[in-house]
Amino acid sequence: MDAKLKETILNPIFKGNPITVLVLGICSSLAVTVTMKGALVMALSVIVVTGISSLILSLLRNTIPGRVRIIVQLVVVAMMVILVDQILKSFEATYAIDKQLSVYIGLIITNCIVMGRIEAFALGNKPWPSFLDGVANGAGYGMILLIVAFFRELLGSGTLFGIDILNRFGYVPNNLVILPPFALILLGCIVWVQRSIQKDLQEK
Amino acid sequence: MNTNNNVYTIIYTTLIVVVVAALLAFVSQSLKGKQDANEKADTISQMLTAAQFGTKAEFQKAGNAAVLAKYADEIGQAFTVNLNGEKVQDLDLTKVYSPKELKRQNYNIKGGSNKTGEPEIPVFVFKNGKTVVPIYGAGLWGPVWGYIAFEKDLKTIAGAYFDHESETAGLGAKIKDDPAFQAEFIGEKPDFAQANVFDIVKGGSPKEGDTEIKDNKIDAITGATMTSQGLDTAIDTWLGAYAKYFQGQQAACDKPCCEGEEQNCKEEE
Repeated sequence: MDAKLKETILNPIFKGNPITVLVLGICSSLAVTVTMKGALVMALSVIVVTGISSLILSLLRNTIPGRVRIIVQLVVVAMMVILVDQILKSFEATYAIDKQLSVYIGLIITNCIVMGRIEAFALGNKPWPSFLDGVANGAGYGMILLIVAFFRELLGSGTLFGIDILNRFGYVPNNLVILPPFALILLGCIVWVQRSIQKDLQEK
Repeated sequence: MNTNNNVYTIIYTTLIVVVVAALLAFVSQSLKGKQDANEKADTISQMLTAAQFGTKAEFQKAGNAAVLAKYADEIGQAFTVNLNGEKVQDLDLTKVYSPKELKRQNYNIKGGSNKTGEPEIPVFVFKNGKTVVPIYGAGLWGPVWGYIAFEKDLKTIAGAYFDHESETAGLGAKIKDDPAFQAEFIGEKPDFAQANVFDIVKGGSPKEGDTEIKDNKIDAITGATMTSQGLDTAIDTWLGAYAKYFQGQQAACDKPCCEGEEQNCKEEE
C-alpha cells in the first residue's frame, strides 16, 4: 500500500479525528453514547453511510454540475441514510436498537463528517481512495463514540453491552453520567489527552 | 462536456432524483412486511409487559416468534367499545392496535377537525382475568403511548408499560426505561367517576403521616414535567373514554359474585 493511501486511512483515526480535532458530529456523539450497543450500531451506520456516499459521489464527480453540487450530494447521502434506517428497522435484532436511536439515525444526514468529507475529498479523488477516506472518517468518529459510551455505560448503568460488570460489587450507578453534559466532559478529557500526546495540535 | 449548461443541470438533477426515489420506494415496499411484523411483536410485548407476564427485556431476548406464541396462549378475548361502554365488535385475536391506529382513535376521542369517525377503542382481556387498555397522547417532543393492565375487579391497576417516540433520554424517557416508575402504577385505583381519572403529580405517592388518600395519584418524574403532564393527560383522556365501560363492568363485579374466587362475574351477568 502506498504512503498516501495509508495516510488517508490513518489520519482520520487519530491525527485528524473528525470529533476531537475537526469537532464535527458532536451532537450525535452526546446523544447516542449512553449504551455501548447504541454507540456501536451508530458507528457502523455512519461508516456505511460515509463510505458508500463517498464512493458513489466520487464515481459521479466528473458529471455533477458545479452549481447543484451540494444538492446532488444531499440526495445521495439522504438516500444512504434512509436505506440504513429501513434496513435496521426490518431485522429483529436491530429493531429495538433502531427505536432507541430514533431520530439520530435519520440525523446522520446532518452529521458534518459525511458532507464535509464528500466536499473536501470525494469530489477531487478517485473512487477507491474516496471510499477508504469515508470509511476511515466514519471509523474515527465511531472510535470516539465507543470510548465515550464505554465510560458512560460502565459508570452510568454499571454494565457493558447490557452485561452487568460493576453492579454485582454493590456499585450505585451515577445518574449524572447518563445525562448529555457528562459526554461533553468526557469528550473534553479525550481532547486533552490527545493534545498532550500530539504537541503540534496545541495553540501557542 | 460543459456540465454547467442549464439544460444539462436540469436533466441531471431530475434523473438523479427519479432514480433515488424509485430505489427508495422499491426498498421501502419490499421491507414493509418485516417492519410491520417487528412493530406488531413490539406492541404485543408491551401489552404482555403491562399485564406482568414478564419484563420487556425478557420478551426482547425471547424474539418475535416467542412473543406471538405467548400472546396467543394468554389472550382470552379482544373487542372494541364505544364511549358509552357498549361493545362494538369483536377483534381478531391476532390483531393489535399499532401506535398509528391509537393516534387515529385519539383524534376521534378528542373530536375536532381531525376526527375521522366515532371512537372505537380496544379492550384486551387475558385468560387470567386481567384487562389491558391502551393510552395515547402527546409528550414533550413527540407522541407517548402505553398500556395499562387492570386486575379482575377492573378497579385496581395490575401494571403499566409506556413507550414514546422521542422523549429526552434519562429524563422523559424514564416513562419507558424506568421500571420503578411503571411499578408505581401497580395497586393504584383510578377514579372513573371524575373527569380527572388519574394524576401524575409532585407528591403523588403517599408519605408517612399523610392523611389524604392518594389511590389515584403517583409521583411525577423529576426533570420531566412536560412528559409527566403529557402522560397524565393521555391517561385522563383514554381512561375517561373507557370510564363507562369500566363502571359498567365494576357494577357487575360489585355483586357478591366477585368475592367467591371460583365464580366468574361474566357468568353472573
